[in-house]
Amino acid sequence: MMNMNRRHFLKSTALAAAVAAAQQRANGNYENTELDAALASDGVKWDKAPCRFCGTGCHVRVGVKDNKVVAIQGEQLAEVNKGLLCVKGYHVGGILYGKDRLKEPMLRKNGKLEKITWDEAIEVIAKRVYDKPSEFAIYGSGQWTIPEGYAAQKFIKGGLSNNHIDPNARLCMASAVTGYLSTHGVDEPAGCYDDLDACDVMIMWGNNPAEMHPVLFSRVIDRRTKGEEVKLIDIGTRRTRTTEYSDEYLEFRPQSDLAIANGIAHLLIKNGTYDKEFVSKFCNFRKDTESPSLFGQASTFEEYSQLLEEYTPEHVEAISGVPADKIRMLGDLFGRRDIRITSLWCMGVNQHTRGTNMNRLLHGIHMLSGHFGKPGDAPTSLTGQPSACGTAREVGTLAHALPGGRIVAKDDHRADCEKLWNLPKGRINAKPGYHTMKMWEQFCTATDQGGDINTVWVQVTNPGHTLPHLKKHFQNKKNLKDKFLIVSEVYPTATTKLADLVLPAAMWVEKNGVFGNSERRTQQWFKMVDAPGNARDDCWMTIAVAHKLYEMGLEGMKDKNGNFIFNIVDESGSTVPVWEWKHYYDVNTDEQLYNEYREFTFMKHKDVAPYDELVKARGLRWPVVKKEDGKWHETPFRFMEFSDSYVEKGKGLQFYHSVTKDDKALIWFCPYEAATEEPDSEFPVWLCTGRVLEHWHTGSMTRRIPQLRNAMPHAYLEMNPEDAKEQGLSNGDIAIIETRRGKIELPVWLDGRGHPPRGSIFVPFFDENLLINELTLGDIDPISKEPDYKKCAAVVYKKGAPSPLSKSKG
Amino acid sequence: MATLSRRDFFSRFIPKASEPEVTSKETAGPKVAIIQGRFCLAYQNSFCSVCKERCPESGAIVSERGIPRIIADKCTGCNICHNVCPAPTNAILMTSPPENHSGATPTDTQPAHPFF
Repeated sequence: MMNMNRRHFLKSTALAAAVAAAQQRANGNYENTELDAALASDGVKWDKAPCRFCGTGCHVRVGVKDNKVVAIQGEQLAEVNKGLLCVKGYHVGGILYGKDRLKEPMLRKNGKLEKITWDEAIEVIAKRVYDKPSEFAIYGSGQWTIPEGYAAQKFIKGGLSNNHIDPNARLCMASAVTGYLSTHGVDEPAGCYDDLDACDVMIMWGNNPAEMHPVLFSRVIDRRTKGEEVKLIDIGTRRTRTTEYSDEYLEFRPQSDLAIANGIAHLLIKNGTYDKEFVSKFCNFRKDTESPSLFGQASTFEEYSQLLEEYTPEHVEAISGVPADKIRMLGDLFGRRDIRITSLWCMGVNQHTRGTNMNRLLHGIHMLSGHFGKPGDAPTSLTGQPSACGTAREVGTLAHALPGGRIVAKDDHRADCEKLWNLPKGRINAKPGYHTMKMWEQFCTATDQGGDINTVWVQVTNPGHTLPHLKKHFQNKKNLKDKFLIVSEVYPTATTKLADLVLPAAMWVEKNGVFGNSERRTQQWFKMVDAPGNARDDCWMTIAVAHKLYEMGLEGMKDKNGNFIFNIVDESGSTVPVWEWKHYYDVNTDEQLYNEYREFTFMKHKDVAPYDELVKARGLRWPVVKKEDGKWHETPFRFMEFSDSYVEKGKGLQFYHSVTKDDKALIWFCPYEAATEEPDSEFPVWLCTGRVLEHWHTGSMTRRIPQLRNAMPHAYLEMNPEDAKEQGLSNGDIAIIETRRGKIELPVWLDGRGHPPRGSIFVPFFDENLLINELTLGDIDPISKEPDYKKCAAVVYKKGAPSPLSKSKG
Repeated sequence: MATLSRRDFFSRFIPKASEPEVTSKETAGPKVAIIQGRFCLAYQNSFCSVCKERCPESGAIVSERGIPRIIADKCTGCNICHNVCPAPTNAILMTSPPENHSGATPTDTQPAHPFF
């Protein structure tokens, strides 16, 4: 201040006041006392945000100076991570500053992407929609914020009435959804991360949390460091970093996890160690119908026992390769009442052609043994994206769903939504839209051959990299001239390579947002810095296109009074033209969309917290309920009387959305069935794909952070040293992997991070230059429609050696 | 068909078995690596194994229960672990060879205050 003259001083304070006022308009006036103390003297302003990466939902403190994120700290006040982050989390600020950020809208002209204005871009999209509204689809993700997903959902289902909206979560946790639905009658876990602090045994089913959910895994490892006893059991198809910490490693033949779970249930019944009281009070039995269905048909305990008869430990050993003694060990553990058991799973169970069934079986063994309903006794699925639960599952941005656990097939659910959205009766289509795999197949099929998806708008995800069997589901678009691909992105990706229109997007703390993590925790943050160039919010793009269509007279963009379906207002209740970018942050659009969405969450008792409460908290687990003390309380443990206020007094445990309407959960029998493609003489090894610690998802963010790129520069092939020797391959040699769908060259890494058994290989999928998904299978679970990325048949040989295949499939 | 880019091919991610062994006598620099526990992610149970994986010298970095440790006698001072350490504050310090200890500094569980 010393050298500042009075005029300058007044000018700068006026500017500061104007900035503060603008921020207050955009963010509103909220109480967030804990952060006031975080204002630092060095001019760095701190605010809270959930991490941008995985579904764990760690909180970070973001340090901002001169409109730039300059520092990241683990948030000590967050229950999820208590100040700890993983290697990605510590570098999360760097995702904003890759050199090749997309900053301008670009339209493909004569094969080349050329800069256009936002007005032109919005008009191009609106015209595509207007011409063929029934053939327009939105493909989003579990990285959508809740308001973004909600806006896209309303646009498609309430506006275009075609239901063609699906998230990449279909590739990720759709089988977990169908698992919970067909067990509890309602989606999402009953337990939470607190189970990790209370369990005596943690079983990881095809799960590698040491690399994929390191902060959660550290909660358990920390307990051991303090001298507590926690037994870790790794049931997997290859040795991983998690195996190093485990007391038991049970290696099973891919797909045979179904048999292992049945083997446990068999022993519980045979030994009479199942929890008779729990089962009679809280469970009914189910089995599948002739063709697989979500709710199957009624069964009985007697029939269930009989169907399990054949799953003796020896029979399970024959299928899975896990010694019968180890199956007995698992059976004994589940049979004990004096210990608490938590099961964790993620993609190993979900990306499975019998993923729904495997989810059901895991719930089943926990129910049958009574290892449910107490802290530490829980079957818990983890998610891989920051808002897979919040946006994909809760907002219901799936082709068959509506917000708050509703589905398009039910008349009363559609009527509910039409009422809440003030739409004319019958606006919402009863026919589900295309799920992810079908949507892309239709998009990549020529129009005259029945390919009735004409335009896809991709928001916050990278299908050109992640869809299985990429040629069929994505790359074939290249030759279809009438098809049009719109991609909102932050960096060039495998998807933008085929895009006809690229829209530069704001990301993470460049916009307001709300995420929902794996344990039902809703988390809010504010915009902290401006997006570069002309990058803008995805939510704004959706509203701007909707308004353009409203101006063009498209009936679907009007509610039943003829007003625009997105009505964002100021304090006096007057409409703010948020479809004009300069007015988007005049008010907190996010808050208004969130409040509108919140109304949908009560029916299935998924009550998300009021926005103001989220601002104060580091996330709150729904249902969030106001109690007699006038305060809002979260629910760590759902369906359990001691925690969940929706459980009737005296019930103890109540599945209040039970499929059988009697407050009971369902225990399913599901048989072991072979994988749809198994190794044979031509393609003799199993190919499994997955992630690595340093890179998140397709690496489009993490590969732009120098420290992470250095630590893990490119994909590799992990194989058993004996198999490698047979092929004359040693560390660093280039191998060729071939499946029936394509081939790829990769360097071999022996005795690296993972150790596959003989006859099996592993390749991480993060590398844009080495797209393993050109080789993956694309077969799906019949109920969840989720594809299997964890197993298909492949052949591996040294580059330069003659192909072992009689006819190369290249 | 995807192919490796030239840069990736030469990234030396995985030391090639067919390359000549680097012997400590010929290439040893004047320095050895030590791990500063207070900056190392693995020491905070945040799970990291990059230095051990990328070390070209067999046995120079060992890991017990996920915690890496440098065996000073075997370290050639090649700097690779320092270059690849992804911790927010680089946890590998290149320093003069110690007189008689095994290379790791005492564990410090204080979380790092990371700036990138």
